Amino acid sequence: MNGPTVTSNGRPGTGLDQQKLVQSLLLVVVSVLVLGPVLVLIRTSLAPSEAMPFETLDFTLKHYAQLLQSPRTISLMWNTVVYALSSMTIGVAIATAIAWCTERTDMPGRTIVRILMFAWMMVPALVIGFGWILLLNSGNGALNVLFRELFGYLQPILTIYSFWSLIIITSFAVVPTGFVMISGLLRNMDPNLELAARVHGGSSWATLTRVTLPVLTPGLFSIGIYMFMAVVQAFDLPLIIGLSADVPVLSTRVYLLSSPDNGLPNYGLAASFGVLLLVLAAGLMWAYMRAIRLGERFRVVTGKAYRPKRITLGLWRFAAIGFTFSYCAAMMLPLLILLWVSLLPHYSTPSLSAFGGLSFDTYRRLLTNPMISRAIGNTIILVISSATIVMLISCLIGWFTVRSNSRAGKILDALSFLPMAIPPIVLVLAILLLYLNTPLYGTIWILVLGHMTIYISFGVRTMSSALIQLHKELGDAALISGASWLTSLQKVTFPLVWPQILNGWLWVFAHSARDLTVPLMLMTTSNIVAASTLWNLWQFPDLPGAAALAMLLMTALLAVVVPSQLYVSSRLER
Amino acid sequence: MLLIEKLVKSYPGQHGQDAMLALRDISFKVEEGSFFTLLGPSGCGKTTTLQCIAGLEHPDKGLIQMGGKTMFSSRENLIVPANRRELGMVFQSYAVWPHMTVFENVAFPLVYGIKRAPTQEMRTRVLKALEMVELGQFADRPAPLLSGGQQQRVALARALVHAPRLLLLDEPLSNLDAKLRDTMRTEIRNLVKSLGITTIFVTHDQVEAVSMSDQILLMRAGKIVQQGSPRDIYLSPNSVFTADFMGRSNLITGVLDRSGETARAHTALGPISGVAGPALKPGASVVVVVRPRGIRIASTSESSGLNCFKARVQNMNFLGDVVETQVDIQGSKLTLMLNPYTAISVGQELTLEFPPERCVIVPSEVPSSCGPLK
Repeated sequence: MNGPTVTSNGRPGTGLDQQKLVQSLLLVVVSVLVLGPVLVLIRTSLAPSEAMPFETLDFTLKHYAQLLQSPRTISLMWNTVVYALSSMTIGVAIATAIAWCTERTDMPGRTIVRILMFAWMMVPALVIGFGWILLLNSGNGALNVLFRELFGYLQPILTIYSFWSLIIITSFAVVPTGFVMISGLLRNMDPNLELAARVHGGSSWATLTRVTLPVLTPGLFSIGIYMFMAVVQAFDLPLIIGLSADVPVLSTRVYLLSSPDNGLPNYGLAASFGVLLLVLAAGLMWAYMRAIRLGERFRVVTGKAYRPKRITLGLWRFAAIGFTFSYCAAMMLPLLILLWVSLLPHYSTPSLSAFGGLSFDTYRRLLTNPMISRAIGNTIILVISSATIVMLISCLIGWFTVRSNSRAGKILDALSFLPMAIPPIVLVLAILLLYLNTPLYGTIWILVLGHMTIYISFGVRTMSSALIQLHKELGDAALISGASWLTSLQKVTFPLVWPQILNGWLWVFAHSARDLTVPLMLMTTSNIVAASTLWNLWQFPDLPGAAALAMLLMTALLAVVVPSQLYVSSRLER
Repeated sequence: MLLIEKLVKSYPGQHGQDAMLALRDISFKVEEGSFFTLLGPSGCGKTTTLQCIAGLEHPDKGLIQMGGKTMFSSRENLIVPANRRELGMVFQSYAVWPHMTVFENVAFPLVYGIKRAPTQEMRTRVLKALEMVELGQFADRPAPLLSGGQQQRVALARALVHAPRLLLLDEPLSNLDAKLRDTMRTEIRNLVKSLGITTIFVTHDQVEAVSMSDQILLMRAGKIVQQGSPRDIYLSPNSVFTADFMGRSNLITGVLDRSGETARAHTALGPISGVAGPALKPGASVVVVVRPRGIRIASTSESSGLNCFKARVQNMNFLGDVVETQVDIQGSKLTLMLNPYTAISVGQELTLEFPPERCVIVPSEVPSSCGPLK
């Protein structure tokens, strides 16, 4: 259709032409961010390994042949699936149990559990992994030493470097996210469904098995797929635990091929593994979307007229507390050992005799080190610019996806959603390939670019779901009053959704700070940030330094995120 | 003041459905200072028309002019964006911005709009607008702390503060409770009449339309059915649809016998004399429209007069103001409204008279629906 064009009526830059301009700009930005890397990745997987992707016109299927013929590929896939499936199952089971206890029973200490879970979402998985290594390594792991001294075992009873340890630690690490999703699910369930079952003569057991669980199944299923996808894409725990345990998975394989300890990187093969991982993740994404759509049919969300009656646990309460607090203890232990190590000049296992030597010397040493100061400065630039740019773009794209019926709006929506299905490690590999020979490489801004691409789908989801709840007439009223489109966004639309904007900003902020994938893959001497420095100190090894930096990073994150999030959620509840 | 010519608007079909024609060739004219109502059932195109006037939607074809200035013209390829049309609008949801105070809401058009005013002047104009809607003492109150009726007044003040060319009202009364709706009806009409501003009002409620408007444009399925003063539309419907939409009617089918001012139709009741439009020719199948209030009870001696029929009372429903009464005339059921103090009871025989000037003869329904675009 050839619509009439817009008159500028003397003063340019108002109304529809502003929209067209912004929309084209967004299309360009998002295409460069998202499509560029994916195309380069595919091109690289089809190029001969001797050449960089832009230097050759040859196409070869060599890498795919190598990938398909190698028996290791099967074991890689197997490892990845077993790892993701077991971690997801254990994690969702623990999270469901705890969420049910805090949402539906009279278990004491519910509020503190909920706050702890929110706080742990902010703790980098890397930090938890380091903590567990300090606790459980076979030589001088604190728990192993403790058992040796208490019971005289010569062999370490637990070992960190095994497939099972990796699975258990990963499942512990995904519990907080699962908890938040599942308790939201439980909270949104209409209590009348359960009451109806009780009124018509169902016992509490029958109600649970015949009504509650079936109603929750689609929701739990989609959360399960989401978690599975998250573990498939996980990189940091498989890197620090899985590699020493000799359990390579797809994500670490991609990393090792592109930054090997010795020898030249094999970008072609890395890219073909990346494509494999991409296909796997895209399949999961598709399954997730299907599950969500199925869940919509079971939608039982109603008004929050009243809360369901909590189940009285009686003596079972001790079991519930015991279970919940064992999990909490298991999450506290790695953090406590890191705190301990950070306060000592040299690593030693916790003991009374070492208490005298505790000091803040390591922190002082870290903060006066110019490398560390640069990393901290870089981190601040990285997290603030990523969060700000992502939310700015997301607000605008969100508006177009919700309010504009044009084809461009749909393309924007689809493009911004695409990164959801691209594992970060694959995306970073692609970004590396795309920008390796540009001046951008080696600067902090390439990390910003990476995080923008990874988190934009989250930002757009957040903003479009916020804007869809905002009555269209609110923005229209500003236009009719004579305000330009941008003024209407700036003065009316966005101020009305600012709690959601802030929430999204905090989420990107925290995830950008805790992410290791992007900083590690793109690391040079000049663009180190807290996460990559943490990795360097650990590898060096400077355990007290690594521990102290981990504590600093965590404290800073919690100090910014938790109070703001509490504030935002109190605003949103109104 | 407002000229609409041959407006056509279609919506692309979704989920594999055919495209929908929302407006089919709409043309009308609104006089300066008139209170003009777009009336019709939901889906008739009235809101789409208003959105096109506001510039929030754009028609596929046609012309929109305001005060001689073209706002939209498909021939000249011209669209003036919504924020340049210098309009005021009250939305169905009021769209009062909850993050601002009453004052800030009303000041918005003068601060960010086309016709900006210096701070001092802006203050006086906003306060004057608030006085006008009797919200003077609420200026500093945050908008969410207002009642529904007060929010509506804020919306009205915001729509009028910048002296717009046109005031657009999109079902502004539908969210109010019944009692408040009655008050606001008179208040809005009096206010816009005292300001002399041309007003376009959209509603699906014929009572609102009749009580407020100078002119009513009745729409159905994207087309104009009838335009006229409330009195014209109510008393001289041009179709079964208008008659039915504007209030309860007795519809008696028949065949036209004689056309013109003194027309006559043959019906199951016998011949009925009435008024027919000039387009109707003898032999056409027609419907005689008689309002329940238009039927008179005649004395038995008149039983052989023009349009007089013997009837038996079948059912009486006491509603307070009136008694809704069902009667049977030779097997046909008719409704009439009786005085509550009447002495008539069920089973009684009556003679009813349909005064010929109250019997409107209209063509029987031509099926037309808002179907898919072929």
